[in-house]
Amino acid sequence: MQRGKTGLIKNCGITAGILGLATAVCFFLQNFATTDTHVPLLFVLAVLFVSKYTDGYGYGIVASLIAVVGVNFVFTYPYFALNFTITGYPLTFLVMLVVAVTVSTMTTQIKKQEKVKMEAEREKMRGNLLRAVSHDIRTPLTAILGAASGILDNYDALGNAEKRELIEDMKKEAQWLIRIVENLLSITRISGNAEGAKIHTAEEVMEEVIGDAVGKFRNQNPDIQVEVKMPSEMLLVPMDGILIEQVLMNLMENSVQHGKTVRKIRIRVTCDKAKVTTAVEDDGCGISKSVLPSVFEGKFSGQDQDGPDSRRNMGIGLSVCMSIVKAHHGNMKAENAENGGARVSFWLPMEEEKQDGSQGQNSDRRRR
Amino acid sequence: MEVRDRILIVEDDKSIRNFLKAILEANEYDVILAATGTEAYSLITSRCPDLVILDLGLPDMDGMTILQKVREWTGMPVVVVSARSHERDKVEALDQGADDYITKPFGTSELLARVRTAIRHSRTAGPAEGGRSGIFRAGGLTVDYDKHRAYVDGKDANLTQNEFKLVALLAKYAGKVMTYDFLIREIWGPNMENNNRILRVNMANIRRKVEENPAQPRYIFTEIGVGYRMVEPD
Repeated sequence: MQRGKTGLIKNCGITAGILGLATAVCFFLQNFATTDTHVPLLFVLAVLFVSKYTDGYGYGIVASLIAVVGVNFVFTYPYFALNFTITGYPLTFLVMLVVAVTVSTMTTQIKKQEKVKMEAEREKMRGNLLRAVSHDIRTPLTAILGAASGILDNYDALGNAEKRELIEDMKKEAQWLIRIVENLLSITRISGNAEGAKIHTAEEVMEEVIGDAVGKFRNQNPDIQVEVKMPSEMLLVPMDGILIEQVLMNLMENSVQHGKTVRKIRIRVTCDKAKVTTAVEDDGCGISKSVLPSVFEGKFSGQDQDGPDSRRNMGIGLSVCMSIVKAHHGNMKAENAENGGARVSFWLPMEEEKQDGSQGQNSDRRRR
Repeated sequence: MEVRDRILIVEDDKSIRNFLKAILEANEYDVILAATGTEAYSLITSRCPDLVILDLGLPDMDGMTILQKVREWTGMPVVVVSARSHERDKVEALDQGADDYITKPFGTSELLARVRTAIRHSRTAGPAEGGRSGIFRAGGLTVDYDKHRAYVDGKDANLTQNEFKLVALLAKYAGKVMTYDFLIREIWGPNMENNNRILRVNMANIRRKVEENPAQPRYIFTEIGVGYRMVEPD
């Protein structure tokens, strides 16, 4: 609803603006020129622009009608009176109408083509993602299936310790699968459209989001120490809390998974007027120079990373983080800290985008 | 003779039903199963379970409908099972009278903790309802309902009146998530319901007085998008 209304206002504004400009130029030229021949030409040009920059046919046709009547009324003798008996009048009208319709048709067609192209692109991306994800999911599934049937088929032959080990593997693999799925679900919360990613933001207290994420992380990784440092004042930041929590979880889990020797994770929040920056830093082995420039690009099963374990997760986790942060109009950075560990930081703007009136609608969402 | 608490599991997926049953039976609960809403409702009325674990996505009816029907005549504890990203469902279920929720996927310890809390609350809620007297203790936090004071490690936390009311309310339902709306309604009345910020600000102040590090709380936890939860008492 809201969108339709703003679209209408925008299109009317464009139409009025262009016609007004043409009128102004004509008035200006009237001071110098002795004939009126330029007037219809200028208005044909105006109609052309209106058709190009508005959506659909309607505005162009309306503009040509206004232009025909307006030119007749203002710029042709007798001035400020309508006279439909001037020679060539029907022709001018016809030309303007044809121009409006033709240009509108062409513009609409071009817009349609662009949309088709973009959709194809998106389809391709989705295909790539699906392929990569299915590939990543198949490995742990194979391990789970293997372990489970191994236990079932050799129940009496296997000792208790061996069974326990297999079951622990199953659990680990399943947890990893869950992580992938949670990330995929996060992506579905960002609804993409032609103008970019859209999310539902509401003001959240930064310490609550971090506290919740750290609490959950601790439950799963009790032997990793987590330290949080943040400004003492309360920070209200517009965000989708669930998604930012996912970002924090991903960053912490990435540290554990890829930092190898990580014992301690530090989360530091700093804030200036415009943005809140959160840095997640670990004391592990850091990010190798060869992958550092492309960590956010989503190499789903990193071929050039070392070790059999690092093939996993990095790509999906960080590229999901990036999509989430980008959808918040923020950005991310990955680097190696002074102590050799990895430091990944993201920042979020403190102010909601101005045209975005989603604040009220969000408290609604929360209340339901 | 030992009396076991009876738990009804309402879940349409057979594997999940199986593992829930195994865990709960291993922990000395008497378990009955239902795969559909209709079946569930008839078991609730005929077998009177002590607790219902209710999956919201059922084949024949919305889990929320069962919850509403049950709440028409009994305060029997209901723990809702929902997916993580559907925080709206959780809030709605809690507002409709669910006692708690667990998020899929969940671990066994989490499940058992929720079940214990919900059963305990159904036993103790009655007498504590009116007077709300006595003392709540969890770690270093002490809430004295009679004196209207909260102490951290023996020292008065100097809470304002509304801050104390919030802490006392959370302590009364310790272990349970209280939705933003419920808290706002209880403390500030029905006209403030749209004002989330006043609750956030008060909670932030409470955290600064009660918690050592507000971003790593020990007593009052946030469930993003849903509400707040006080740690279980000692």
